[in-house]
Amino acid sequence: MTTARRSESSDNGDDVTRAEVAVVACAELFRDAGEIVASPMGLIPSLGAKLARLTFAPGLLLSDGEAYLLDADGQVEGWQPFKKVLDVVVPHGTRHVVMGANQIDRFGNQNISAIGDHARPDRQLLGVRGAPGNTVNHRTSYWTPKHSKRVFVDAVDVVSGVGYDNAHKAGQAASRFHDVHRVVTNLAVLDFDTPDRSMRLVSVHPGVSVDEVLEQTSFPLDTSRTTETRLPDAEELRLIREVVDPKTTRDKEVPS
Amino acid sequence: MAEIASLSAAVADLVRDGDVVALEGFTHLIPVAAGHEIIRQRRRELTLVRMTPDIVYDQLIGAGCARKLIFSWGGNPGVGSLHRFRDAVQHGWPVPLEIEEHSHAGMANRYVAGASGLPFAVLRGYVGTDLPNVTDTIKPITCPFTGETLTAVPAINPDVAIVHAQRADRAGNVQMWGLVGVQKEAVLAARRSLVTVEEVVDELEPVPGGMVLPSWAVDRVAEVPGGAHPSYAQGYSERDNAYYAAWDTISRDRDEFERWVERVRSGEVVRAS
Repeated sequence: MTTARRSESSDNGDDVTRAEVAVVACAELFRDAGEIVASPMGLIPSLGAKLARLTFAPGLLLSDGEAYLLDADGQVEGWQPFKKVLDVVVPHGTRHVVMGANQIDRFGNQNISAIGDHARPDRQLLGVRGAPGNTVNHRTSYWTPKHSKRVFVDAVDVVSGVGYDNAHKAGQAASRFHDVHRVVTNLAVLDFDTPDRSMRLVSVHPGVSVDEVLEQTSFPLDTSRTTETRLPDAEELRLIREVVDPKTTRDKEVPS
Repeated sequence: MAEIASLSAAVADLVRDGDVVALEGFTHLIPVAAGHEIIRQRRRELTLVRMTPDIVYDQLIGAGCARKLIFSWGGNPGVGSLHRFRDAVQHGWPVPLEIEEHSHAGMANRYVAGASGLPFAVLRGYVGTDLPNVTDTIKPITCPFTGETLTAVPAINPDVAIVHAQRADRAGNVQMWGLVGVQKEAVLAARRSLVTVEEVVDELEPVPGGMVLPSWAVDRVAEVPGGAHPSYAQGYSERDNAYYAAWDTISRDRDEFERWVERVRSGEVVRAS
């Protein structure tokens, strides 16, 4: 088992895994978020949201994606079925969804609908679910456990979640609340903080080179300000290992 | 007024070839037994509607009951893809499946419009996505007050809505509680409706958070204990997670799936695990 290399910024005494770096990168999605509902889809974003709530984002409300609001231990602290979500959460700025992406392009357009022609696709995917509404109504981030050219494509086959170029083209109705925040992967953290809102390489995870990320991405990335993703501090490592994921399920999603 | 009937008689009376049929339920209270009865009665050319089609829709599609699916997410929750659904869309097996893809909000609003007797619903979503290009039932509409361009989606008025609930009284009033999705809207929007219940009781004791579908909104009530399996009915049963995992194996292989369908058609009570 290989592990991420140690960094001087970490005061922990042992090796940190890539999965643990990814959990912290997902937690960082919610820094300074205030009292919002976080809807993390997938394991690593869920662990990240729990970690954020236990540390620097105590106001975070976590939903289980179905009907309950949960505390960081998974205890139910409120009931919030579909209709309450529509009543309470959709009003703007109170929610941050982290979704997966089968494909994502340079401007953050996401595809979870189909690969190939929509009517007779090569691969029928799960469907757009809430993405068309999420992306034009509140902050959205993406998580992909396998950063590759198959995911990071020049153009997605079916725009399901709206990216910056399409939101701009569609005008007010799409751009008013549009806010694609970051993309976190097993290799890196990316965002859209560039003049034309194209994707930027924010940081590479410890042990990953900038070239490695570029090789796994079909389009060019702004790397002018790229840093290294921070390691968990000692308390975060303890919380990940002992509290939020004692069974180490994170290693299945991001093998070290 | 609702009539209490057997499941087979209710499906025979209400579901016809070519109908638009919505079997709704979200994680909880999914009317799986009714879906199996539709397979048993060999309905064809159905347009199936559901916000979140899961295993029972995979089964109906694989059994050749459907020609079209209207949906916003289709998967085996917690496990992965629906292999029969994918095979039908990608390869036309056993029959081609047309898809009409919407967002969750679009589907929910379409049911609400249908239940309200309105021709369409309006929402902000879809702008900037490719869905308006691939789905005919998504059209731009200009707000008459602000001039903003929004999206209109037509009402869904299924020929038949089928849901599962905890219980009904002998007059056919239905009571459900716990996690609910769009069951009420689907039933109120539909021309005909069937509710399968865990039990028929003399009197419906009020339950916190409970919802009652009045008898006048329901056509048939069928007592089918365990009718939501492998999903669950709060207060009656637990979710059978092993079934969902086992379905992945059965549904991957056409031959294995066909053996499963034969067991359903023969009237055997079929559980995947």
